[in-house]
Amino acid sequence: MSGIDAVKKIVETEGQARRIVDESKARAQQIVSKAHQEADMLRQEAISSAQEQREGILRDAKEKAESEARQSDVETQQLLANYRKLAEARKDDAANKAVELVLNA
Amino acid sequence: MSESLDKLQNRILSDAKLKADAIVRDGESNADRVLSEARQKVQKEADEITAKAKLEAEAIRRSILSSKVRANRLKILDEKNRIVQEVVRAVENRLAGIAGSSRFDEAAQRFVAEAVKAVGSDQPVIRLGFRDAAKKDLDSVSKMVPKGAKLVFEQDPIDGLGGVVASDPEGRVIFNNSFRSRLERLDSRLLTLISATIFGE
Repeated sequence: MSGIDAVKKIVETEGQARRIVDESKARAQQIVSKAHQEADMLRQEAISSAQEQREGILRDAKEKAESEARQSDVETQQLLANYRKLAEARKDDAANKAVELVLNA
Repeated sequence: MSESLDKLQNRILSDAKLKADAIVRDGESNADRVLSEARQKVQKEADEITAKAKLEAEAIRRSILSSKVRANRLKILDEKNRIVQEVVRAVENRLAGIAGSSRFDEAAQRFVAEAVKAVGSDQPVIRLGFRDAAKKDLDSVSKMVPKGAKLVFEQDPIDGLGGVVASDPEGRVIFNNSFRSRLERLDSRLLTLISATIFGE
């Protein structure tokens, strides 16, 4: 093999080597790029899931508060009924005491 | 020569493959880091969203409950006030009709005595006016007023409910001892008494 042929072979081999390295660079780039896409997807899924969870938390809180508010209404109605019963039973006594106070104070 | 050329070619290719492998490993390592950082970051964001939602939930709960509790407290206060005012009206009716009761003489005399004492005049002018009280019903009062006093019997109940008003002859010092005035003076004690009697508080 002549010297020129040898140099040609080496130049070809170096070209091949460059292609191997370039391909690996492209592949690495692709891997990183895919990781970024995966990260974006991951983020979207996690944020969407967190938003759903948020809606659930708010909905539960509202439902619970409305239920407590209804309970408060029931208790208030019971208290009002109790006051009316007490008033019916004691208003004469209260009026008597008040008249005594006005007359004797 | 051919053998050493082959070796050189193999070496060049082998070096290139080593370098290529390192580049790919680097890429994979970067990808792992990107994903790991993204996971951490997104977890933090999700935690923040959840924490904020819990605060919002508490605010919603407080807003719904506090307005309801406030409205219900007002209902209770309104009802208690209505009941107390009903008793006050009953008290006013009883006081207004006192002339028909056996306690009238004693009450009228005490009211006159208090008013005369408060005015502190030798010649007080005493006005009396009770619903359904005839002049004869007030005879007992006439007997106990000071000598220089002037007694005036009003046709209508004083201040609407009845009572006594005394003044000096010039009308500079006046003491209103009508039921209405006594109710006003005793307002806070009366409300407390009625409330305590009915609601026990």
